[in-house]
Amino acid sequence: MILESEPLMDHRPPVTVKGTREGLTFLLDERADVDQICAYLETLITGETGKLFEGPTVDVYVDYGKRALTPQETWRILDVFRKRDNFLVRAWGSAKEVRDTSRRHRDARAQHIYHGLVRSGQPLSFDGDVVIIGDVNPSAVVEATGDIYVFGRLLGIAHAGVGGDETAVVAAAEFAPMQIRIADVVSRAPQMRATMEYAYLEGREMRVAEMKYFLPWHKIRKRSGRDERR
Amino acid sequence: MGTAIVMTSGKGGVGKTTTTANVSTALALLGKKVCMVDADIGLRNLDVVMGLENRIIYDIVDVANGDCRLEQALIRDKRFEHLVLLPAAQTKDKRALSVDKMVELVNELKQSFDFVMIDCPAGIEEGFRVAVAPADMAIVVTTPEHTAVRDADRVLGLLERDKVGEPRLVVNRIRPDMVKRGDMLDIDEIVQVLGCDLLGVIPDDERVIRNSNRGEPVVLDTSVPAATAYRNIARRILGESVPLMHLEEKSGLWGRLRKWVGGR
Repeated sequence: MILESEPLMDHRPPVTVKGTREGLTFLLDERADVDQICAYLETLITGETGKLFEGPTVDVYVDYGKRALTPQETWRILDVFRKRDNFLVRAWGSAKEVRDTSRRHRDARAQHIYHGLVRSGQPLSFDGDVVIIGDVNPSAVVEATGDIYVFGRLLGIAHAGVGGDETAVVAAAEFAPMQIRIADVVSRAPQMRATMEYAYLEGREMRVAEMKYFLPWHKIRKRSGRDERR
Repeated sequence: MGTAIVMTSGKGGVGKTTTTANVSTALALLGKKVCMVDADIGLRNLDVVMGLENRIIYDIVDVANGDCRLEQALIRDKRFEHLVLLPAAQTKDKRALSVDKMVELVNELKQSFDFVMIDCPAGIEEGFRVAVAPADMAIVVTTPEHTAVRDADRVLGLLERDKVGEPRLVVNRIRPDMVKRGDMLDIDEIVQVLGCDLLGVIPDDERVIRNSNRGEPVVLDTSVPAATAYRNIARRILGESVPLMHLEEKSGLWGRLRKWVGGR
């Protein structure tokens, strides 16, 4: 990710947008007038060019450089961002803070894709979330500090949220696990075989639901619990 | 240069030795030069199944220790000129044979035989490692039981880790009537769980046990369906594509009548 707030050329627009892996970073020219920034930003995200920002919820990082903003000015700028309801402002600060936030964000959840069959007696553990493309056979164990998604049959043991993350989930295309563990809660799965299901914790109790409820629930979770943790 | 094939299963009693004896004999029937190596040191069985127990003078450990030449320990089969057995030692234990020695020995055998069939001991400890080390190919034997399938799964994991050329599966002792009633795992289920190529299916038959006790591999008795199954495995090893046998039981007059009258 490139963030450069020191030498800003005069001909540069007062707001620069950079797309990164984490989302969008808005660089506000620290020497430009707040009115100018608001006006430019408004036309940028709601005017002609607004179509570019349409789509699913996107994480937004705002970098206002070394400017000293008053609370009123802060609210004025944030109000402009609020005009797009798919913008989720995740960080607001001067250069270094924003950069740190988005970097920490990335490090916090390493992601893995494992191709292949997980056989019994072949323990696998991952730091972060993992997608397993293949089956997890009876008495095989998969552990992850984050979520576990199985694109195949989950017949073995899955342990999500190994470090204690109670928001972790275990999901599988064919859900027939021997045992599910999330954080330190252990649950024996009922003798059933379901398709596209996932397990999660509500309070300290394990629940299993169909995958079609996963996305809405996942979004709510993302907005509340997890952000604070980070 | 021949091919070394190890027969393994993890679980004991699923029919590794019987399969080794029969598949080796079937390969010999097809005119190949075959050497069976019993790697189950301390618990030797292959000689009994082949009916050669009274001919043993030297064994694999004697060869490894240099107490005799390799040719002295090889026992020629009664029926086939080009089928021989290298018996295991009965008095020693698994530590008597090291991985290096085994690899050396099998490589020597591969010079003069088309196939070296290694009968692996049960378990996944030292004996397994020694038996698997020289193999170019592995045949995993399992029965349609959860216990055997799980052990086969474990063994397949170990074989993949050790990069023993693509393992192939033999499902032994299947009983079509039990599968039909839903009391036994069916072949598709086993193959799906194990994610492994199927080499053959052997129907359960008491004549297999009877013939093993007589020291006469069942594969020689063409009236038994299991014999055909073993021969098919041998042909598949040689690269022929042979379709799986129909395991439907021969239905009597009533069965045929029922089929004819009311569908299945």
